Amino acid sequence: MDILLILIPLAIAMGAVFAVLFVRAARGGQFDDLEDPPIRMLQDD
Amino acid sequence: MSTRPVAEALATSTTTGEELSCPHCGDAVATLGAFCCSGCEVAWAMLHEAGLQDYYARREEPGPRPEPLRGAWQVVPVVERPDGLVEASLCVDGLRCSSCTWVVERLLERSEGVEEATVSYANGRTRVVFDPTVTELGTLAQTVAAVGYAPRPVDAPEGRDELLSRLGVAAFLTSNLMLLSTSLYIGWFDGMDPRYATLFRWGALALATPIALYAAAPFFVGAWRGLKARAIGMDVPIALAVAVLYVHGVWQTMAGAEGYLDSLGMLVTLLLVGRVLERRGRRAAAEASAAIAASLPLTARRRVDGGVEEVPVQHLLVGDIVEFGAGDEVPADGRVREGKGRLQMALLTGESEPVAVAPGSEVVAGAQVVSGTMAMTVERVGEATTAMRMAEAVREATARPMPRSPADALAPWFTAITVGVAVIAGLAWAWFDTPERGIQVAVATLVVACPCALGLSVPLSVAAGLGAVARRGVVFRDGGQLMALADLGTLAMDKTGTVTEGVPAVLEASDESLRMAGALERASRHPMARAILAEGRARGLRIPVASEVVETPGKGIEGIVEGRRVDVYGAGPGAVAVDVEGETVHLIRVGDRPRPDAQQAIARLRAAGVTTVLLSGDHPEVTEAIGRRVGVDQGIGGCSPDDKAAWLVQHDDVGFVGDGLNDGPALAAARVGMAMFSGVPSSLWIADGVVTRPALAPVVAAVAGARATRDAVRSNLIRSVAYNILAVGAAVAGLINPLVAAILMPLSSGLVIAGALMVPRRLERLEKQWTSS
Repeated sequence: MDILLILIPLAIAMGAVFAVLFVRAARGGQFDDLEDPPIRMLQDD
Repeated sequence: MSTRPVAEALATSTTTGEELSCPHCGDAVATLGAFCCSGCEVAWAMLHEAGLQDYYARREEPGPRPEPLRGAWQVVPVVERPDGLVEASLCVDGLRCSSCTWVVERLLERSEGVEEATVSYANGRTRVVFDPTVTELGTLAQTVAAVGYAPRPVDAPEGRDELLSRLGVAAFLTSNLMLLSTSLYIGWFDGMDPRYATLFRWGALALATPIALYAAAPFFVGAWRGLKARAIGMDVPIALAVAVLYVHGVWQTMAGAEGYLDSLGMLVTLLLVGRVLERRGRRAAAEASAAIAASLPLTARRRVDGGVEEVPVQHLLVGDIVEFGAGDEVPADGRVREGKGRLQMALLTGESEPVAVAPGSEVVAGAQVVSGTMAMTVERVGEATTAMRMAEAVREATARPMPRSPADALAPWFTAITVGVAVIAGLAWAWFDTPERGIQVAVATLVVACPCALGLSVPLSVAAGLGAVARRGVVFRDGGQLMALADLGTLAMDKTGTVTEGVPAVLEASDESLRMAGALERASRHPMARAILAEGRARGLRIPVASEVVETPGKGIEGIVEGRRVDVYGAGPGAVAVDVEGETVHLIRVGDRPRPDAQQAIARLRAAGVTTVLLSGDHPEVTEAIGRRVGVDQGIGGCSPDDKAAWLVQHDDVGFVGDGLNDGPALAAARVGMAMFSGVPSSLWIADGVVTRPALAPVVAAVAGARATRDAVRSNLIRSVAYNILAVGAAVAGLINPLVAAILMPLSSGLVIAGALMVPRRLERLEKQWTSS
C-alpha cells in the first residue's frame, strides 16, 4: 500500500498540469467567444 | 467604379418567376443586371475591386442595401497598444449569414492600415486593430457601411477577468480535496495508518491554500471594498467564513486533526459558479443593450467666403452657416435660414413620417433630410446637441448604481448574528468545558452558518430569471431591474412602434391597385412604397414591371404599367391615390396599425393586475381611439418626450415600454424602462431591458418572469434562513463536526439550486394563468 504515498501526489500533480493549462487557456481568451469558431470552421479562405 | 463587368452582374442578378432582382440586395429591378440603387452598385463594385466576389456565391441571403453611415465615430474610445497600433471595438448590425462576417472581416483586413479584424457572427461585435497614423475608425466604418452593413460605435473593448480561471482552479482542487477528506472521514471509523493520515491532512491543506488565497480573492476584495464604503454586503460574511475556515484548518493540521477544509473548497466553488452564471447573464444583456449610437454625420458643408467647404462636424462653431440636402443628415442643432424641404426627425417627435421645414424651423442634429436643399444657422454643436445630450443621459443612466439585492440587505444582520452567536456559544462551552471545545464550537457555528446558501440563492435565481426572460424575448441588463418590474402596478406604453407596428401598412386596397402601384413603387425607397410592396407580396400578387418610372420626391411617382400611364401620389393623410390614364380609379388606405398581439397582451397584463397606460406624442383623439381598440386603461395623447418623462416621475412606480431615440428621457425616468428593438442603428437605448421581438407578448413574459424570479428569491431566502437557524442550533449544541458539515453544506445548497431552477416553469404557469382568466 506504500505505493499510495507516491501515486496520490502523482495523480494530483497530473491533474494540476491540466488545471494550469485551463487557466492559461482562459487567460488567453479561449473561452471568450464560444459561438463563432464553429461557424468559422466551415469557411475556407 | 462604373467599369463593372456586366456579364458578372448578370450572373448574380437572378430571375425568379417574372421578377428580376438586384445583384447585390435582391430587390426587384426592371432590367436584367441592373441595380436597384446606386448604393448597391457601389457595394457590388467595391466587393469586386477588393477581390471578394466570392461573397455572392457563398451567401445564404441577399445582402443588405447600403445606408449612409451614422454615428459619432470621433469619440469612440480606442486602446493603444505598445507596438503603436490601436485596438477599437464596433458593432456591425445587419449580419444575416456567416458570409456576412466573412466579407466584413476581409474588407476591413484589406483596408489600408488595418492589421487585424475579427467579427462575431453571434452579436456583431467587431474588434479591429489598426495603425492610427494611416487610417481612422470612421474611415473603416465607412468602408463597412458602403457595402450595406450598419456599423455603430460601442464602448471600449472590455477586459477579461479571472473569474473563470478561479472557478476552474477551485473546482479542480475541491474535487481532490474531497477525495482526501473522504478518506480521512472513513479513517475515523475503520482506523487508518497514521502516515496516510498525516499525508492526507497536509495534502488537504496544500490543496486548500490556493483556494483560499487565489480562488476566493474576489470575495476578500469585495468585502474590503464594502467595509471601506461602510456597506456590508454578502461578501463580508463569505470572506469571514473563508478566513476562519482556513486559519482553523491550518491550526488543526498542525495539531494533527481534521479541519473543515473540504467545506471551504465546496463553499468557494459553489459561490464562484453563482458568480459566473450571474455575470454571464448580465454580459449577454449588456451586449444587447449596448447599441448606444449617436446619429451624427462625420462632416458638414460649411459656407465660407465665396464657396462651401467640407469640414469635420467637430470644427463647426455656433453661428456657422451649413448647407445640406436630400440624403444628408443634419450636422448640428439650428434653425433653417433658407430653402425648404422635408426632414425625418424621429429624434424629437418620434414620428417616422417626415416633417416639412421652412426658414425659421428648428432642426436637430442627426435628422435625415428626405427632400429639398437648405441652409441653416448653427445654434448648438457637439456636446450641446440634442443627440449628444441624450447620449450623455444614457451614459449616466448606465452608470447609476445597481439596487442592492435582498441578500445584501440581510448581510449585515446575518454577519452580526452569526458572529455574536459563535462568540457566545464558544465562550459558554469554554466556561463549562475546555477552551479547545469552546473554539471548536465557535468554528463549527461559523462554518454551518456560512452564507453559502444565502450567497447562492439570489444570484442563481436571478440568473435563471434573466435567462428565462431573455429566451422569451426581453433582455435585461441586470437582475435588480428585472425584480423591480415584479412589483410595478402600472405599465405605461408608447404608441407608435410599441403598441402599434410603427411602420405604415396597407389597411385597405384592391389587388389591382396594389399591382399597379407596386410596379411603380419598386424603384422607390419611401416607406409607403415598402408597405405597398409588402402587402402585394403577402397577397401573392404578380407585380408587373413598369417602365419610364419618374419619382418626384414629396409628390409621387409615375410611369407606364402594362401599356397604361399610372400615377401614384399621396391623397391626404392615410390615403394613396392610384390614377390610371389621369383618372383616379383606386384609393389605397395606409396607416399604422396595432401589433397583432397587442390586445391579448394587454388583457393578460390586466389579469396580472397591471394597469396599462398609453402615452403618445400623437393627437389625443388618435391616442384614445387606439387605446380603446387594444383595451388599455388610459390613453394620454399630445405628450412631448419631456411630458412623458414628467408623467413617469410624477407617478412613481411605473414601468415604461417605448422605442426610438425620442423615448430616451421617458425610459430613463421610468422605474423600469424597456425599449422595443427596432433594428434601426440610430435608436438610442437607455432602457433596463430590450424587447428583441416585434411584439408585445415578450413584455408580458418579462412581467411573469420578474414575478417568478422575485418569488424564487424570496422562498430561497426563507429556505436558507431556516436552514441556518437549524444548523446554528445544532452547532451551538456541539453536534457539528467536520463530517456533518461536509454533508449539511451541499444539502442546503442543493435546496437553493432547486428553487432557482423552478423559475422558468413558474414563468410559464403565471402566463397560462393570466391567459385563461
